[in-house]
Amino acid sequence: MEMTSLYPVASEIFLACAGMLLLLWGATAGEKSTGAITVATGIAFIIAIFMAGHYETAKAVVMGGHVGSNAYVLFIKVLLLLSALASLVLSQHFLKSSKLSRPEYPVLVLFATLGMMLMVSAESLLGLYMGLELQSLTLYVLAAFRRDNAKSSESGLKYFVLGALASGLLLYGISLIYGGSGTILFGMLHEVVTADKPPVELVLGFVFILAAMAFKISAVPFHMWTPDVYEGAPTPVTAFFAAAPKLAGIALLIKLLYGPFHGLLAQSTPIILVLSVASMTLGAFAAIAQSNIKRMMAYSSIGHVGFALVGLVAGGQEGVQATLLYLLIYLPMTLGAFGIILSLRRDGVYLEQISDLAGLSKTRPALAAIMTVFMFSMMGIPPLAGFFSKFYVFLAVVEARYVWLAVLGVCLSVVGAYYYLRIIKIMYFDKQMEGFQRVPGWGVASLLGVTVLFILTLAVKPDWALSITHDAAKALIG
Amino acid sequence: MLFFGMPIEVLALFFPLFGALITGFFGRKLGDRASQLITCGFMLALSVVAVMQFKNVALDGNNSSYVLATWIQSGDLRANWSVMWDTLTAIMVGVVAIVSTCVHIYSVGYMSHDKCQPRFMCYLSLFTFFMLMLVTGDNLIQMFFGWEGVGLASYLLINFWFEKESANNASIKAFLVNRVGDFGFALGIFGCFMLFGSVEFSAIFDQAKNFVGKDIHFLGMTLSALDTVCLLLFVGAMGKSAQLLLHTWLPDAMEGPTPVSALIHAATMVTAGVFMTARLSPLFEYAPVALMAITILGALTSIVAATIGLTQFDIKRVIAYSTMSQLGYMFFAAGVSAYSASIFHLMTHAFFKALLFLGAGSVIHALSGEQDMRKMGGIWKVIPTTYVLMWIGSLALAGIGIPGIYGFAGFYSKDAILEATYAAHSGVGEFAYWMGIAAAFMTAFYSWRLIMMTFHGTHQGDHHVLDHAHESPPVMLIPLFVLATGALAAGLVFFDYFTEKEAMERFWREALLVLESHPAMENMHHVPEWVKLAPLGAAISGIVLAVLFYGPWKGVPAAIARAFGPVYTLVYNKYFFDEIYNFIFVKGAKVLGRFLFQFGDNKVIDGLGPDGISALSKTAAAQVSKLQTGYIYHYAFAVVIGLVAFLIWMGRS
Amino acid sequence: MSSELIQTYFPVFVFLLLAIGMSGVMIGLSFLLAKQKPDAEKLSPYECGFDPFSDARHKFDVRFYLVSILFIIFDLEIAFLFPWAVSLGAIGMFGFWSMMVFLGVLTIGFIYEWRKGALEWE
Repeated sequence: MEMTSLYPVASEIFLACAGMLLLLWGATAGEKSTGAITVATGIAFIIAIFMAGHYETAKAVVMGGHVGSNAYVLFIKVLLLLSALASLVLSQHFLKSSKLSRPEYPVLVLFATLGMMLMVSAESLLGLYMGLELQSLTLYVLAAFRRDNAKSSESGLKYFVLGALASGLLLYGISLIYGGSGTILFGMLHEVVTADKPPVELVLGFVFILAAMAFKISAVPFHMWTPDVYEGAPTPVTAFFAAAPKLAGIALLIKLLYGPFHGLLAQSTPIILVLSVASMTLGAFAAIAQSNIKRMMAYSSIGHVGFALVGLVAGGQEGVQATLLYLLIYLPMTLGAFGIILSLRRDGVYLEQISDLAGLSKTRPALAAIMTVFMFSMMGIPPLAGFFSKFYVFLAVVEARYVWLAVLGVCLSVVGAYYYLRIIKIMYFDKQMEGFQRVPGWGVASLLGVTVLFILTLAVKPDWALSITHDAAKALIG
Repeated sequence: MLFFGMPIEVLALFFPLFGALITGFFGRKLGDRASQLITCGFMLALSVVAVMQFKNVALDGNNSSYVLATWIQSGDLRANWSVMWDTLTAIMVGVVAIVSTCVHIYSVGYMSHDKCQPRFMCYLSLFTFFMLMLVTGDNLIQMFFGWEGVGLASYLLINFWFEKESANNASIKAFLVNRVGDFGFALGIFGCFMLFGSVEFSAIFDQAKNFVGKDIHFLGMTLSALDTVCLLLFVGAMGKSAQLLLHTWLPDAMEGPTPVSALIHAATMVTAGVFMTARLSPLFEYAPVALMAITILGALTSIVAATIGLTQFDIKRVIAYSTMSQLGYMFFAAGVSAYSASIFHLMTHAFFKALLFLGAGSVIHALSGEQDMRKMGGIWKVIPTTYVLMWIGSLALAGIGIPGIYGFAGFYSKDAILEATYAAHSGVGEFAYWMGIAAAFMTAFYSWRLIMMTFHGTHQGDHHVLDHAHESPPVMLIPLFVLATGALAAGLVFFDYFTEKEAMERFWREALLVLESHPAMENMHHVPEWVKLAPLGAAISGIVLAVLFYGPWKGVPAAIARAFGPVYTLVYNKYFFDEIYNFIFVKGAKVLGRFLFQFGDNKVIDGLGPDGISALSKTAAAQVSKLQTGYIYHYAFAVVIGLVAFLIWMGRS
Repeated sequence: MSSELIQTYFPVFVFLLLAIGMSGVMIGLSFLLAKQKPDAEKLSPYECGFDPFSDARHKFDVRFYLVSILFIIFDLEIAFLFPWAVSLGAIGMFGFWSMMVFLGVLTIGFIYEWRKGALEWE
């Protein structure tokens, strides 16, 4: 066996080794090593990005057909690593001031990211399951990372129990599919599924997998865990939840729909449609009633998942590209918004109520301005990036002759605009609360700078984003 | 010579704009005096250029045009921002510049007790700028720009004392009534563009005669194309020039400060309609029906306004109705193709009417703001200069003169109009002539009624007011002298240019077009002698009668009013135009508006739209939040329900 | 079809019979041969040392579970080792090193739990 045959998963192997080493380091050196380990984890992410960019560009399937690489997978992996890096940066100060500074945190983030990367590079149901479980288990722990906090524990437990249910569904689906087709490899499944009449257990098995995926990306009605977990988990973890796993989940869903289960695509599009419409609707309406900003962001993320799925309803290369573009823009938007939330502290307590933002424009005008940009972008106001993401998914869906869906989406954007605008209104027009503590940290500041720059300038030069998403979509479908 | 890349005669048109911008933005910092100096300085400079240009263009015949910029270029629609100098422009710019300068200077004295003087000067200058844009444009769009601009300035100035509710109402009324006219104007422009494919005067005029006899079809009606367009344009003129039916705003506009009334609502803006018909004479000439309508409406306006003028007691309203009446003259002159006479009267009228208004302003100023003539009287000794100036203005207005030797300005221009109207030898011309004679009589009558009631007899008002009465300061009187000079000499000096055939041809050149078949101006010198003398006779008898009625025979006017009770009531109440309009349009609009507001907007649009949806959204949000129980088995249940639903969907086949 | 089905699942059927038979023999023999001394504690089902029929909300010692969970990991490791050992000849050096990596990963986990003190009862 040649070493070159492992190249398509070089970044995963590297991360796995790095993770184990860092774990040992943390276990031996104790809590004082947290800072160093966090930095090392960040460096590992960066190295992984370069390794992925260097080794994983070719289209290949290795390790007995269980994992593989192509430009689509590469695109997702790089985005995942960047999101993970960003959420590490976000957690930096929060953990220290919340006395949660333990070496396990960065290592868990690393393993979760590794799990997600495996998910998207999986070329068999077994590889998929392994990646998904690695991701899920670490995320359960991360949600409950604040062990002495009842809400955090509750959220971890809820996530675990419901996640176990979803894993059960997934496994059951996998076993049905294996029973129906006799294979778990995507390549072979593709042939079986595209055959004239795929066995019914295979179709049902696919529905189970779909349901499990919908749970992972918290699409309605599989979303119920989301608000509770988002609220209970420590805020940097919530930021991580809102970014990377969504991307990984949707990416995997796309890969399944256009890979092994392509033959069922037409049949399952109505399901995606229902998930999309339900998510957009619930995200728009339910967020209105929220007073906790993390809960609000949870519903906001549900809504965004709905919008991203609109591109999948449209389908085809354009539709997938639109979804990828949506995710590409959604990630910095969300991470940036959480960056703001993590910058608001009063008397040593991080603020979580929306009403706490009152008068932010007076005390911290720069933060308020940046938050305004994020909120406008999430609403989809031109010329901010959020407008483009919505524009492209709606364009794709209109071209796919689902005009009513585009109209509905725009209407729901308007409903959703209410709660984003409310934040702006509270920041700018409500009576000022006493000042906010200055949260030090060049990390968060630079993250905010980068994300806000991204949001503001994408409109000026969108070609690169269009071109990379185009290439990724083409690698999967074309 | 070029300044900033523009010839001085182009740059000068922007002087008022500079003045307006400077005083508008920095007036408060600059203070009253500096603002006045700046605006008046710019206006004086403009006047000098305007007079030079009048000689250069109108007398020496150096027409020019200058394109400042392409304003609109969209498909076939093309409008430049340009300055076109021909005789008509030169006359209008001259009149506007001189009168406006006089009013600017006069305002320094008249408004000296006001607390917002920079704002006033700014508006005046702004108005002047828009008026100049209106008269210098070489296309309909630029004219419309100026048209709307002067409307805006008029609105701002009528409402200058915005604490006064009556001023608010008057300004809104002026704006709304003008909207009706402007709508017609806009439709006329659309019509021109539809017919000729251009909004530029030269293109329109070149093609106009090709459209004679052409029809347009609209809503199943077949209409004469040119007549329709011209009538629509004339609707615009009716609004701006306060012709009958759209005249109700003008008397109310007297709520504005008196200099405003003199400048905008007597000398310049209200004559924009007349200017338009003259400017578009190459178009109107081919629209006989429109010309007839203009003649009839002008004649009716002159007589109706004159009758109302007989009965009013507010000194400014009397002059306002007089203005309306004189505008009627100008229109029926234009209607019989005597554009030259029409513009002649426009020019002389600008001088003597501004003089009258400013004189009235001087009286009001002297009497601490009193405007009711019934509370005046016997003040000629107190303000003798004003008294003399009012005499000059009134003589010019009445058209007094000794035929062949000398006459006040109005003598020449009004006679020219009436003679031309008679000489048109048409039915409507004859009608207009007799209406004009009657109106001339009444004009003279109410002018001397005004003089008698204001200056003679015993003082009827509060004697404290009389004690404080004083002659106006020189800064107010000097402009009056300038205008008085115009009232004295303008007719005599320019008579030939406007009426004598050969001088006219050299003077006007291409600016006006009169068809051979409309020989009113040519024939006016060949009318019977009595036609020439009738206006003078009417005027003199009017004066004599007024002096008698309001001098020795004090009881007569009241007796006449009693004798003609219902008629008097009708006229005194301005033919109930306001009441009728109020009933039909205002009340109707209010009823409709209330319906649309309370039912259409509140119930239907808001109820089903924003309010309904937002209420629904909030309810939905609350309901959805309730789904989030926090119980894990509920969550799992949702997952299972979703799964089962999807299984059923996929397994159904 | 049915004969084919029966053929396919016949081994399962045999296993089923054997299982029933074996458990029946075991229970029957113990019933026949063993000494019968009934006791309430003896009769209660084995529940990790808890009373199965009491309030669910009471304190219990988590260490017990911790040790058993850790045990299960290594138990499964053994389960993997058996087939590996049997087929080592067929899978060669690649198979050998694969298992070494697996064991290495497990060892790292073991070191971690050890360092964290998860194996100390007190």
